Amino acid sequence: MDLSYTQLLETNNLIQQNTDETYWLCLTRTVQESKLFPVSPYMILSYFMCFYRYPSLLRKIERHMKAEDIGDRARNMGIKIQNPAMGWCLPSFYLLGREYLIAMGMIRPQDAVEDVVYVMDFWKRFELAWHRNDGHMTNRDFGHRAQVLPERKLQIFHADMYDCVEGDALHTAAQAFMAATSQYGFLVSCESRIALHNQGPYRLDDEREMIVRDFMDLAEGDYPWLDGVAADMPYNNLTVPMAVKGCHFNIIDDWGSFESQPEFKSHHMVGVGLYTSDTLSEGHIPVGMGSREELTRTFEMLTQKAKDATTKLWQRIAGWNRDQMLDAGAITYFSIIKDLAHVAGCYAMEDWMLIDERAERFRPLLNDEYGNLSLWEILGPLSNPCQRTNEYQMCQHANTPARMYSLIPYSILKDGDYTRTVGGLAPGASYLPAKEDRYRTTQGVLPLAEYNRRAREFVPAVCGEDYKYLCESWLKYHHRSPEAEALYRVEQRESRLLANRGAGLRRADVEALRRG
Amino acid sequence: MSRLYGDSDKYGDQCGTAIVEAFHGAIRELVRRRYVESGQAWNDFVFGKSFELITAQDFAAIDRKLLDYGHRYAWSALKSQQERPEAYVAAAGIGEDLASFSFEHPEAPTAPVDAAGLELRGCGDNVVKYDADLVGTARYVRSSATVLGYLENGVPPGTIAVIDDSGGTLTAPILEQFAGVLCAGGTVRSHLGILTREYGIPCFMNSKLSGIREGDTVRMECTATAKTAEAYQKGVEMTARVWRVVQQ
Repeated sequence: MDLSYTQLLETNNLIQQNTDETYWLCLTRTVQESKLFPVSPYMILSYFMCFYRYPSLLRKIERHMKAEDIGDRARNMGIKIQNPAMGWCLPSFYLLGREYLIAMGMIRPQDAVEDVVYVMDFWKRFELAWHRNDGHMTNRDFGHRAQVLPERKLQIFHADMYDCVEGDALHTAAQAFMAATSQYGFLVSCESRIALHNQGPYRLDDEREMIVRDFMDLAEGDYPWLDGVAADMPYNNLTVPMAVKGCHFNIIDDWGSFESQPEFKSHHMVGVGLYTSDTLSEGHIPVGMGSREELTRTFEMLTQKAKDATTKLWQRIAGWNRDQMLDAGAITYFSIIKDLAHVAGCYAMEDWMLIDERAERFRPLLNDEYGNLSLWEILGPLSNPCQRTNEYQMCQHANTPARMYSLIPYSILKDGDYTRTVGGLAPGASYLPAKEDRYRTTQGVLPLAEYNRRAREFVPAVCGEDYKYLCESWLKYHHRSPEAEALYRVEQRESRLLANRGAGLRRADVEALRRG
Repeated sequence: MSRLYGDSDKYGDQCGTAIVEAFHGAIRELVRRRYVESGQAWNDFVFGKSFELITAQDFAAIDRKLLDYGHRYAWSALKSQQERPEAYVAAAGIGEDLASFSFEHPEAPTAPVDAAGLELRGCGDNVVKYDADLVGTARYVRSSATVLGYLENGVPPGTIAVIDDSGGTLTAPILEQFAGVLCAGGTVRSHLGILTREYGIPCFMNSKLSGIREGDTVRMECTATAKTAEAYQKGVEMTARVWRVVQQ
């Protein structure tokens, strides 16, 4: 790979974008902490793993499927290739690993340059594809908003959701489900929020907005610690389109978190639906959506399963030693982008569920105090020497002379003094029990080899060659065409109200159908 | 002695905290030593022999050196302290001494008992504004053993959990049973803030408390304005008060 000035300019811009947004995200949340998990230590361990392994694993994935093609798939389902996985974690976990190693003197800003250029380029291509309907690269670009879904899918979410009001059975069941499943998601993810994702908002009318909420990796799947305890969880991923009235979601950030004005309370929720999806599904499959009574019972059933699994998992985790907690947390963080490999059909347990031996070396350093303070320094005051810039500089948000992530020096184009890559994959190990070969999918519980085989062969209809470039801009002027009609009917196959309605409906037409 | 790239840093000097500087300084010295020992150019060393020459044993020695100087690490996960008590500061208010324990945050606002029998003992960042304040019984939840006890026996009605950290996992199986939460860490957007909002449980994050003991009756000013992201970003104080109820 011959590096060009243009490549370095673009790479440094992508690095700087992550610097600016990471500071803002962390400023409004402070450092994560837990009395149960050594959170900061496991986060740092994961960052080293990301630096050493992501370049090889992303190249492996792209040998099967290009980043932008996976980005297109991501709009069609609610799995961990949205936010926070792709919007922030992929680039920032990698860059945090790099910055830690620079701060320790173990690498220079011009080491592993081809890796850095490649990882940031992969991220850019994925993000542009995932966000192609709103035309941005990140939620930050959009003023903290994510309107990634096409009209045909939004119409189905809008049409098929059931109205609810605070105090009725559906409202109560849906609220309980989201609370219990959020809690379960935090525990599954070892105190991180990466099992949860929100996108939107989408306007339903002058008074109502909709956000789409994803709850991911809930069943027996990639994580060894869910073997057994999550055996009764019937869906690995669940998506809840949620309509609200009386509040506006003014922030949907690249962590997939939302904020609203006024603050969201349960009485604002006026409509819900429920779907499941994964890399083997034709988009979102309705779950319990035959009637509002069925949906209520389904939410209640899933709430109980989430609570049962929470109790069992908590008891398992409470019995772990610190090394096991460190492994589980680091693996959870590092593997947040693992679903890229599932989509590409090249997932390997040993790629994603083990601690890389190059990162493992750092374990003796990772006591709680160093973990908390070093993480605070690298994310908050940006006080590592490598993060300081000349005194005239005023970084975004803090106005201090600092930069979170070091840029690549352009001088390497003149003197050639740089290294290209950290090298290939190194062996890994873990203190956790071995993963059992069971993976819950929308096509049943599969062994991994079969899961990969089906993933490699499966192309959702709307992502096939006939439709992949039939975008929203095209649809605007071709909605009466046979191709548009066919595309909408494919998407509408399992819709209660829109099946075979085709491409001509406007939002008001959908609402009229809802009102009967 | 060989120079590392960072040795000629024009703008950076040292880390912001002594612990991080001690670790990073020691690691830089280690890298310097191993680099010289390798006899290689940096570009060959950095992703080559360095993997063999810089080992977990080297990092363990750095950790040992700091402990030998008498330092004891502050802990955040109780398991860390329990597995290496010799390396961490002692844990207080976790076991039998809970009855005499109370958070004593220097920033906690306090005031004498007023005419209504309310004694100001602290404040926090309100996650969600509610129509009425909450009165309940303060109970510290600081260990998995405490959680296990409540899991087996149930959480007493009216419990306002007093929690150290902003995480959502320690109390995961029992959080729903709390009437309210006073959390000494985090912000309203931290995990515990998100979860209590979902459950509809009144919660103050970033609480600064003083003198609230296990079993005290406390009142949370849940009617106070909820703190916003903009308030954090601009450093605007928006706090809700916490009182001990001395007489009803």
